[in-house]
Amino acid sequence: MTRSSLLRDSLIAIAVFAVLALLPFIVPGKGFTDFMVRLAAFGIFATSLNLLVGYAGMESFGHGLFFGLGCYSFGLIMQTFPVSIPVAFLATVGLSIVVGTVVGAICVRLNEIYFAFVTLAFQMLLHSLIIAWTPITGGDQGLTGGIPRPPFLGIRLDDYYHLYLFSTGLLVASLLAMYHIVQSPFGYTLRMIRDNAARAPFLGINVFRVRLMAYVIAGAFGAIGGMIMSLFVSGAFPDFAYWTISGEAIFMIMLGGITVFLGPMVGAVMLLLLNDFVTKMTTHYGLVLGLVILLFALGLRKGLMDFAADLWRDRQTPTSGPRPDTAAKTAASAPARAGE
Amino acid sequence: MTKRAPNGVGRRSVLKGTAAVAAASTIGFPFVSKAQNKPIKVGMVTVLSGRVAILGSASQKGAQIEIDAFNAAGGLGGRPIELIVRDSKAKPEEAARIAREFINSEGCEILLDADTSAAAFAIQEIARETGILTIHTNSETSSLTADPKLHVPTAFRSARQGIHDAIAGGSYAAEVSKAKKLNRWMGCSPDYAYGRDSNKLFFEYLKRFHKDAEVIGESWPKLFQPDYTEQLTKILQSKPQAVYSCLWGGDLTAFIDQSSIYNLFAQTEVFAINIADYAVLTAIKNLPKGIHSGSRYLSTFPPTKENADWSAGYRKKFNEYPLNWSWENSAGTKFVLDALKKTNSTDSKKLAEAISGASISVPYGVDGKLTMRAGDNTLINYSTGWGQTIQKDPFVPDVKSVDWKMILDLETEWKKTMKYI
Amino acid sequence: MDLSALASCLITPSCVITQTTSGLIIGLLLFLVAAGVSLIFGVLKVVNFAHGAFYMLGAYFAYTAYQLSGNYLIAVLAGGIGVALFGLVFERLLISRVYGSPVLMQLLVCYGAILILDDLVKIIWGADFLSFGMPSAFQQLPFVFAGGVVPVFYLFLIVVALAIAGLLGLLISKTRYGKIVRAAAVNPSMVSALGINTGVVYASVFVLGGFLAGLAGGLAAPVRSLTAGMGTSIIIESFIVTVIGGMGSVAGALVGSILIGLVRSFGTIGFPLFTEGLMFVLMAVVLVLKPSGLFGKGGA
Repeated sequence: MTRSSLLRDSLIAIAVFAVLALLPFIVPGKGFTDFMVRLAAFGIFATSLNLLVGYAGMESFGHGLFFGLGCYSFGLIMQTFPVSIPVAFLATVGLSIVVGTVVGAICVRLNEIYFAFVTLAFQMLLHSLIIAWTPITGGDQGLTGGIPRPPFLGIRLDDYYHLYLFSTGLLVASLLAMYHIVQSPFGYTLRMIRDNAARAPFLGINVFRVRLMAYVIAGAFGAIGGMIMSLFVSGAFPDFAYWTISGEAIFMIMLGGITVFLGPMVGAVMLLLLNDFVTKMTTHYGLVLGLVILLFALGLRKGLMDFAADLWRDRQTPTSGPRPDTAAKTAASAPARAGE
Repeated sequence: MTKRAPNGVGRRSVLKGTAAVAAASTIGFPFVSKAQNKPIKVGMVTVLSGRVAILGSASQKGAQIEIDAFNAAGGLGGRPIELIVRDSKAKPEEAARIAREFINSEGCEILLDADTSAAAFAIQEIARETGILTIHTNSETSSLTADPKLHVPTAFRSARQGIHDAIAGGSYAAEVSKAKKLNRWMGCSPDYAYGRDSNKLFFEYLKRFHKDAEVIGESWPKLFQPDYTEQLTKILQSKPQAVYSCLWGGDLTAFIDQSSIYNLFAQTEVFAINIADYAVLTAIKNLPKGIHSGSRYLSTFPPTKENADWSAGYRKKFNEYPLNWSWENSAGTKFVLDALKKTNSTDSKKLAEAISGASISVPYGVDGKLTMRAGDNTLINYSTGWGQTIQKDPFVPDVKSVDWKMILDLETEWKKTMKYI
Repeated sequence: MDLSALASCLITPSCVITQTTSGLIIGLLLFLVAAGVSLIFGVLKVVNFAHGAFYMLGAYFAYTAYQLSGNYLIAVLAGGIGVALFGLVFERLLISRVYGSPVLMQLLVCYGAILILDDLVKIIWGADFLSFGMPSAFQQLPFVFAGGVVPVFYLFLIVVALAIAGLLGLLISKTRYGKIVRAAAVNPSMVSALGINTGVVYASVFVLGGFLAGLAGGLAAPVRSLTAGMGTSIIIESFIVTVIGGMGSVAGALVGSILIGLVRSFGTIGFPLFTEGLMFVLMAVVLVLKPSGLFGKGGA
């Protein structure tokens, strides 16, 4: 990644943000901004999970650890201390880095399904802690009474448009940052470890350290997603640390695709829209959503963007020449990972 | 699913027609009549799926029965009420999202929160932010309305409250204990906010009224835990004379079934506050005799004709028994409907002012009346009492009602110790 | 935390007997579900997240069969056989299409299936919780051994579950079928090279797993209330058991299940508020120290 491409991507990001900032004036109603705030939370969360799953080949079942941690840490700091939102924000990112380092040091030594389960165990440990430690966390009732939102730098987060700008701003910035990480030499090292972990040490790569870094980075972004969610509901609930929240992120990346950077974003849009639409149309939520999920999973056998990327690539190179980078490798390595 | 009032369609369209003519002739603008007849949308957030699906099904029916009657009588000057019910899947963030969707996208002017307690706290924040009239119809957690920090002027609770039940249960249990010399007690309540609160307060008031009572142990099953074997054996080990439990719903039926095979009821008196609700009473195949229970909802308590009629009407309409959630939602809806009539407006502030301190006439209140107490916006004077089970309908034949004056006095005292007032 | 209560329980025979049987009963019912999860993972490399829903179906099938026949034995068999057949359809229709897909894709398919099954149960049997009722044969006073209390029904469950565990162990370790299954777990291409249809082997493992889960649902039905979504808690515990015991190991599933049962039954005396957390601690410790589980072969 060169300096000029950084400049180019930053300009694109600013343009996207400018469009987003104008959208509420074109699309009326708070329904849209509400949706976008949730999309920001889940979009960052799902994309950060895909840093692990798609790029590092680390299939985490417990990424919700960081979502929950972000929610609770941010909410608790704002409720307990008279600090500004940026301070609480940075403190939460800092905490998630510390927790990510400690938990990651234990987890990333393990591979495949073992890694998946140990991350799940740690997430459920946090959940049990939240439930049991009632005086601090409010137990199963969660953090009640609302999260204070003192204005900072002219931003008033109790105003829905400000919250919208803040959330989408964070979304764009986080996506830009994560995109840079996966396009950096570090990102390519991750892909190499994913594709051939045995070979990496011969190239002087400390596999443990690289995987740990990936885990910590993904966790920090996951916590940012959690913080946006806590602002949206003005509280924090044990659900945000339950395994189902990890499940939702997994379903988002599987629906949207893991080989294309924006796949998880597409998946987040799909799952949120589906959820909202199905909940609105029928009380048989499970039946309809389940059928749609099966249709995608068994019809495409991969995420929507993965499918689109393959289609596009096939059209580009009708004679199956050497395929560029990620998609082909993941597609090839995935069945091997599943053990068949 | 958008649930429209199923009944009285023909009649309503006639009424609409008359209202339209009336509006057109008085004001002279035909399109005004359209706005006049636009339904007033009421959004209900509840749980329709998973383990507590029955909560949503009973809540919806409770509200619907009142709304149908209101619409059949002409609505609010020709404007019918439309109840929209959506499933939060028992997730607080989804409950918050749906509540916002009701307000921001559906044009709902009134919220009924018929969800679990955690969701109630999330919805309370939305009520605070938007100022929309909100009735919490199911959450019994005392702090929701008792804690002044959480107070929202446009939010009310039309449900039982934990502290009321604890005082009622504690005083009843103390009387039984004194007569039967039950001194060694144990608790077995679900390990979440409601369970912990209910358990703690029950024993506090038991000991207050019966000085010799002693809590020798507590066991805490998880909410929705399928198996209570380890808790039951712990109870058997400790050999208490009496056990208190606030398990509810399917958890309670499993607990009773499992207790039966351990022969627990022969060895200890069991006080299970949530048994006297038809969903539980009719589900248990071999309901043990002599379990003490608080009245959730019974057709025979209060033992009035009005109450029996209300229950019969509900059963006729929906072909199932009314539950505790049914009357709580009926009551919440009725407060709203009365306020709509009184103010002839859908403005949340005006409605809230009308509801605060209001009384409604319903058969499940003490002397046929329920009051929404001003100040902390919570329901009082609902009929509450305790009795013992028998195997067949009427299940709890002899319910002793508990004196509301005592409940209110002790509640005030409790609020002081909690530093709420 | 009440460690003194735990200590005093451990030196009281009646407490040890009562809590141990209570641990056994929780553990053995869990085993019937976890064994299927473990076998399916070991042989098919599929994390069958929908196995909890199988257990739920077993309970509901048994409920209806009991309503119709009034015979508990028929009810339990209806649960087992019904879910075995369902497992076959499930494997052919859904799971067989995602063999070799990433684990997360399999998870997605199972999740879709769970959503549908939970909703179907609600549509067919209603939103109310159902209670099966104790068969009259078991409506007896519990046994008392040395002051410890053991209900007749639980004694029956323990014996049946142990018998099933024994038969399952024999099936896997002694029969030709067991050999094929074990071989398919290690090297499926070798098995198919020997002229054995791996597709049939895979389907049969699913049927077996379904049968066990269905039996568990039917056996547990008289003491557990039936609701849509009742499979969720048992599937998470089954994963814990599978990890602790070692994925693919029937013996491991048995030991892991009983371990979890005992942690629950004694944990509720020593630290009632943190028994759930403790199970996850146990799982994490096993994964870190011996990722392949107590009875698993090889490492991660």
